[in-house]
Amino acid sequence: QAQVAPVQKPLYLCSPFVEAALVKGNFKTIVMLPKYVDIMEWVAVNIFDFYNHLNEFYGVISECCTQQSCKTMSAGTNLSYTWINQDRKSVHLPASTYIDYVMTWIQNLLDDENSFPTRSGQDFPPSFPSTVKHMYRQLLRVFAHIYHAHFNQLLHLRSEPHFNSLFAHFLAFGREYELLEVKDIKGVPTAPVGIGALWEKWKGMGLLEA
Amino acid sequence: QSQPNKPADYVYFDRSSANFSEDAQARAKAAQVKLEHFYKVAVDAAVERNGRRVELERKLQSDTLIPEERKQRQLQQHGKKESTFLRLRRTKLGLDDFRTVKVIGKGAFGEVRLVQKVDTGKIYAMKLLKKDEMLKKDQLAHVRAERDVLAESDSPWVVQLFYSFQDSSFLYLIMEFLPGGDLMTMLIKYDTFSEDVTRFYMAECVLAIEAVHKLGFIHRDIKPDNILIDKDGHVKLSDFGLSTGFHKKHDSSYYQRLLETAQSGTSATPQQSSRNSVMVNSINLTMTSKDQIATWKANRRKLAYSTVGTPDYIAPEIFMQKGYGNECDWWSLGAIMFECLVGYPPFCSESTHETYQKIMQWQYHLVFPEDVHLSREGEDLIRRLITSSDKRLGVEQLKKHPFFYGVDWETIRRIDAPFVPHLRSITDTSYFPTDELDQGTEQPPAESGGAGAKDLAFLGYTFKRF
Ligand SMILES: Nc1ncnc2c1ncn2[C@@H]1O[C@H](COP(=O)(O)OP(=O)(O)OP(=O)(O)O)[C@@H](O)[C@H]1O
Repeated sequence: QAQVAPVQKPLYLCSPFVEAALVKGNFKTIVMLPKYVDIMEWVAVNIFDFYNHLNEFYGVISECCTQQSCKTMSAGTNLSYTWINQDRKSVHLPASTYIDYVMTWIQNLLDDENSFPTRSGQDFPPSFPSTVKHMYRQLLRVFAHIYHAHFNQLLHLRSEPHFNSLFAHFLAFGREYELLEVKDIKGVPTAPVGIGALWEKWKGMGLLEA
Repeated sequence: QSQPNKPADYVYFDRSSANFSEDAQARAKAAQVKLEHFYKVAVDAAVERNGRRVELERKLQSDTLIPEERKQRQLQQHGKKESTFLRLRRTKLGLDDFRTVKVIGKGAFGEVRLVQKVDTGKIYAMKLLKKDEMLKKDQLAHVRAERDVLAESDSPWVVQLFYSFQDSSFLYLIMEFLPGGDLMTMLIKYDTFSEDVTRFYMAECVLAIEAVHKLGFIHRDIKPDNILIDKDGHVKLSDFGLSTGFHKKHDSSYYQRLLETAQSGTSATPQQSSRNSVMVNSINLTMTSKDQIATWKANRRKLAYSTVGTPDYIAPEIFMQKGYGNECDWWSLGAIMFECLVGYPPFCSESTHETYQKIMQWQYHLVFPEDVHLSREGEDLIRRLITSSDKRLGVEQLKKHPFFYGVDWETIRRIDAPFVPHLRSITDTSYFPTDELDQGTEQPPAESGGAGAKDLAFLGYTFKRF
């Protein structure tokens, strides 16, 4: 971090990194619900893929995301997400612990035959839409933390085109199926989410639907 | 630092991976490669899915006889099928989902087992391929593309593939189980076939090879071990797209090296080289002696199990660096037909190297033994297959060849086969040499996790069909 002169703007909003992309063009072709296909099946498999890829990328920077480096689940200059613990209290956790909880929780859901059925004839539970919304929100937070706290490291490892595309795809998909609220992406004015600005920027660039 | 054509917020960033562990660097590479692969596949899948739908819609639209309501139902059904396919992608199949009944075959890179899927009780053949063996032999090229298309095929002439998955040591292919064994085992059992029986198998092979060619493939390695027999006694070609690309025996440079060592072993004076060719001839003569054929037969199965494999059925042009077309498969058929009628393949020798040399000089080595009677048509057909590629018969001419007189090409798969397997149960393996095979099956490794380079080489290997 020392080699960069005091920039106000985070690197992920700066040229050329903000434009870096593995996938060029509009995500529509791979986001749109294929005709006649069950929407829950489509959402399920996409979440499954997002989770797996995000997990891969988190694995890349996990050695840089330690209890010391990231004492909280930061996602903006004034923003750290809190975790609701067993006593229903909001607590700050080191980002690595927070992310570990999120990923374990999601993995368990994905493996749970009742939540994400894989056997033929087994239907999705009525709670499926609200479950996936929860999952999606937490995945967004993991993206938000990585962008806020570890983008440098992605740059060092030349992974920003990939990570950008994954995230843009995630946003496009989330908006299409109403899995993400604008307030989740942008946060509140007093404590904005870093990636909220990225979302705006990409919309401005025509990468995402306005 | 600002430059004229760079935006005001352009930032120079000094990249260095020095502060990262090797593990992190490897993970970064792996994550990138996987994501690239994912998007490639995602786009292809979207295009293909679209194609399937448009195709169906067009078909329904052009058919005015189907009532509207049934059309709707068909479209609904189509959506269901596509949805099931998506669901299958989330389904993790692993070794645990299958119970091994028996080892039924051995291939160059692993073994074939009869397995039962634990939850459904359904029977399949599971082929195991050892990753490091395949990597060592550098046999990864074109595997994927071939596999994908074959997986798409619903041809009755090609063994169906249902799933594939992998762990750190093996690729696993779950295929339809063909209980009748293979043509090699049958030839070992019966020695030769009558012309009528041969006609049946050759005619079915013609259609099977034609089907493969229509899919846009050249098999390159048609041999009796790859010709499998279904429960009714009909023929299917084994999952070549899955293995062909792997095999050392197809590697022309391998044979080129063999050739070079062979040539450097003999010296260059004209007299000596002419003496050398005489020696080849003398080997040819002794070759037909009963003893040597017996040795060949005794070793036949061992040869099938070795990585080098047998070149007995491979066309000469494959060994040359000049490229080849799908005619090479008809040569193989000629060699198999010779074996069916004569009892051994035309160029069989004690060493693969010798076989190889005979194939290259097939003009001198294609000899029909005196003591075996072949019909004129039979011999003629063989001679029109085992010939230079420009003179070889093509599929249409083949079908019209007098040897096939009386064959009904349209219905042959539905008529009674000459040998129909007698099966006592769905797991009957009496048509497989199970006693000869080591039943102490290959042990899968304890999962190590992480993405080794080895796994990346097999990226995209996991396949599921509905
Ligand atoms: N689907 C199947 N059903 C029944 N038996 C099979 C099946 N696939 C393979 N076998 C048996 O296993 C043997 C070895 O399989 P196969 O020939 O596919 O392996 P390989 O030698 O590694 O590959 P290749 O055929 O490319 O040489 C076959 O000869 C056959 O007896």
